[in-house]
Amino acid sequence: MTALRTTLVDTATSGKARLASDRWRGAPYLLPALIFLGLFFLAPLIGLLLRGILEPTPGLSNYAQLFANSAYSKVLFNTFAVAGLVTLISLLLAFPLAWAITLVPRGWGRALLGIVLLSMWTSLLARTYSWLVLLQASGVINKVLMAFGVIDQPLEMVHNLTGVVIGMTYIMIPFIVLPLQATMSAIDPMVLQAGSICGASPWRNFFRVFIPLCRPGIFSGALMVFVMSLGYYVTPALLGGAQNMMLPEFIVQQVQSFLNWGVASAAAALLIVITLALFYVYLKLQPESPAASATAR
Amino acid sequence: MLLSANAMGPRLRFGLFTVNAVIAAFLLLPILFIVLLSFGSSQWLVFPPPGWTFKWYEQFFSNAQWMQSAFVSLKVALLTTVFATVLGLPTAFALVRGKFPGRDLLYALFTLPMIVPLVIIAVATYALFLKFGYTGTLTAFVISHVIVALPFTIISIINSLKLFDQSIEDAAVICGASRWQAILKVTFPAIRPGLVAGGLFAFLVSWDEVVLSIMMASPGLQTLPVKMWTTLRQDLTPVIAVASTLLIALSILIMLVAALLRRRAELKG
Repeated sequence: MTALRTTLVDTATSGKARLASDRWRGAPYLLPALIFLGLFFLAPLIGLLLRGILEPTPGLSNYAQLFANSAYSKVLFNTFAVAGLVTLISLLLAFPLAWAITLVPRGWGRALLGIVLLSMWTSLLARTYSWLVLLQASGVINKVLMAFGVIDQPLEMVHNLTGVVIGMTYIMIPFIVLPLQATMSAIDPMVLQAGSICGASPWRNFFRVFIPLCRPGIFSGALMVFVMSLGYYVTPALLGGAQNMMLPEFIVQQVQSFLNWGVASAAAALLIVITLALFYVYLKLQPESPAASATAR
Repeated sequence: MLLSANAMGPRLRFGLFTVNAVIAAFLLLPILFIVLLSFGSSQWLVFPPPGWTFKWYEQFFSNAQWMQSAFVSLKVALLTTVFATVLGLPTAFALVRGKFPGRDLLYALFTLPMIVPLVIIAVATYALFLKFGYTGTLTAFVISHVIVALPFTIISIINSLKLFDQSIEDAAVICGASRWQAILKVTFPAIRPGLVAGGLFAFLVSWDEVVLSIMMASPGLQTLPVKMWTTLRQDLTPVIAVASTLLIALSILIMLVAALLRRRAELKG
């Protein structure tokens, strides 16, 4: 078949013209999208990054401010603390889900997968609104806890970091379940059986055999969630408080309220560099990276 | 035994089942809650509601602002779908069939809008549109949405193109069709599931987009999520629950259509 295709191409494009055009075969079809992204995505992005070192005066003063100003560095700390905490909790909650889906691919495993997908596909704003109502002082969760006598006073679970962590964890769970489940279903059950035949207790088998085998899925899922959490705006902005901002909210506030493009751009540059660096690590962890699968035919 | 439900000890099995039931409830709770609230009669979102009513739905559908923002959302989402598909189609063809230097790098470039945090794309494009006085226009909405929808259409079309055996297209050429005829009559119908799925993704991305839209919106022109956002910041009225329920219903519908298409594509092999 390949030979046939080559002859076809040979007859279609003949002679000398082929040699020159062959090097860039198909490339012109990229132009429309390339021009579009260049004009509306890359150019503004580069422009934004430049503002970080050019405004108000050329130099690195914006970056210095970002780390020196205690209010700003608190934002950085919050961002990483929340992202780390969200990653950890969603990992703990996603693990049993992925496990059950792998164990029972039909039946209730399938139902669980359906619930995970439904939650992932439901409007972000709708879910965040729901948490806002659920978590408020007069909300259902506080009422139930008070009715059972667990607490006397309503807990403050919204407009602070608690609210942000709950809402973000909720959103991130599916993004760990899916890669983790893929890793688990690729594990040969025989390996675990071998572990128990060789005398490993269930606990030992779990921690020394099962968890290590799940590691690729755990790492790639956790990394993805951590990166996404760093850049989320909507949920922290609605469930968080003005006192405990995260980086994305900070960037928007600097632009919209203070027109402080210099600091906003420096913060944006920081966020992009961290995101891309972590994403690079993520790609390296993948046995078959998206870039590689695009090439493989 | 850890990967076989039957060989698992009853205690472990029961434990896993209970833990999962709780987590599943956690995942379902906000979605069910919001749907129920939209029918609850309490203005203050008391739960369980004292009574059931359609009045929030009436308020939603009779309010010109809500309806207009829903209409703007629909218009933006449809335009985004069209442009993202039209731009994505030749790109996917070139990335799969083309042979040129730096192809992997270009693929990475086209997926970049998926990776760069939305808030940064929003601020960057906002700066651009501000400079040329385009903020608060339909153009600004559509352009910014196409940026983030494009990777979805490109990846979706690439996937279906890779499944398609090009020798079928070549066979059509041997039988006398021109290359374009073969692509139009043979390849397009074969990759249609990928095209439609990509279009659905693009629609959903645009329809649900909040961050970009907040930056692009003006008081006179806003999408449904922006209207929800600005209302949310004032009070938590049940009308937002109505809007949320409608968004959820549409997401489920699109998800089902996409799943159906995938199954059909798989059956075809």
